[in-house]
Amino acid sequence: MSVLLAVLWKDLLVEWRSRDRVAAMGVFSLLVVVMFQFAAPPGASPESRAHLPGLLWVAWLFAAILGLNRSFALELENDAWAGLALAPADRGWIYLGKALAALVLLLAVQLASAVAFGLAFAVPLAPVAAPLAGVTLLGALGISAIGTLFAAVAARTQYREAMLPLLLLPLLVPVLLGAVRATAALLAQEPLPWPPLRLLLVTDAVFLIVSFLCFEYVLDE
Amino acid sequence: MSDPAGETGLDALARRAVRPTGWLLALLLPLWLFVAAQAPLDSVQGVVQKILYVHVPCAFAAYLGFACTAVGGALYLWRREEHWDRFAASSAEVGVLFCALVIATGPIWARASWGRWWSWDLRLTVTLLLFLVYLSYLLLRSFTEGSERTARFAAVYGIAGLAIVPLNYLAIDLAGGRSIHPENLQRGSLGPGMRAPFWLGVGTALLAFAHLLARRVELAALGERAAARAAAAEAGEAP
Repeated sequence: MSVLLAVLWKDLLVEWRSRDRVAAMGVFSLLVVVMFQFAAPPGASPESRAHLPGLLWVAWLFAAILGLNRSFALELENDAWAGLALAPADRGWIYLGKALAALVLLLAVQLASAVAFGLAFAVPLAPVAAPLAGVTLLGALGISAIGTLFAAVAARTQYREAMLPLLLLPLLVPVLLGAVRATAALLAQEPLPWPPLRLLLVTDAVFLIVSFLCFEYVLDE
Repeated sequence: MSDPAGETGLDALARRAVRPTGWLLALLLPLWLFVAAQAPLDSVQGVVQKILYVHVPCAFAAYLGFACTAVGGALYLWRREEHWDRFAASSAEVGVLFCALVIATGPIWARASWGRWWSWDLRLTVTLLLFLVYLSYLLLRSFTEGSERTARFAAVYGIAGLAIVPLNYLAIDLAGGRSIHPENLQRGSLGPGMRAPFWLGVGTALLAFAHLLARRVELAALGERAAARAAAAEAGEAP
């Protein structure tokens, strides 16, 4: 447990001193949204507005991948990786520390870009803020949970940054599916539907357990 | 690991399984073709319905392949025996083959039944996704080529990738009545005379899977031993 807190504190402190990961993720997620305005202008019709939740989550997903790549690229510098691997503790806790740090950073980016998104598209987010925050938390948890595991894998392959999206995107579809459907229902002022929520909960639990158990085999030397 | 040029128990099992499964397949395949041809025509869809006898069994074989990949990966992580990694990689390759057959036979039926080859329906999309997960698995293997990390990383990915298989099977329920893909088979949803060719098809597909897997594992083991011998010969010549 103390290992978890130590790793979490270290990652957040490193980020607080440079703030480059959050800045890169935030600017990138805004860029994705802006690029979509040129690629497929949503217009004002209700049908085109139905795509907004998907657009938002894709932007967050890409931003998360950008941040996750840094998560372990950081450890490769100055051989910090060896320090982590040599820590006399269950590596599952190291994993949880890294994953929680990734989650905190992703949530910070999501909060900022959700506000910008709500203003830019005139989406009233305030009335559904509480359930939306819950859905966002569940989605971000799934992304960080499995993302941290495979960020560690991708960092040790030949193609590093290019490998992570290849590994992660197909696995994250259940998270994306659940999060987009729940968000779409909330933005349409409907009650929160249970099936996508259940999908998110189950996927998060599976990803957390698998990653907690498997991280030991990924972090070596 | 014992003798590097030796054959492990799993390799020997695969080598011995090649012939019997091959002969059994040679018997079962024509029998299944005959029974499927004799089966009554679907009163609405006509002859194109018979693709069910290929499509669904291939999907079962693909699921089995991906399950074997995860099990082989888990056993590798636990026992650290190379042959489990060869088993996992081989079953992923064979699983991808059967998954490709599922994706290839589906549109032939869809063209006749829905009037178009493809629909971005949840079931179809997740099947394509499953295919992509295991393509990524094979890519991961090739991008870490030549290091002992390959087996460990691939094992972890194979275990995580298994999470998509139940999603694929349950996709129809998840879509909440909006899916146009036919529903999963339930007791009695096959018409009279269609049950025999269907289950015979499942048996044939699973046997074909076992045969191809045995061949692939045998090949991988031979490759491994050839490489070990070449390395040993080189080491002997060097001084």
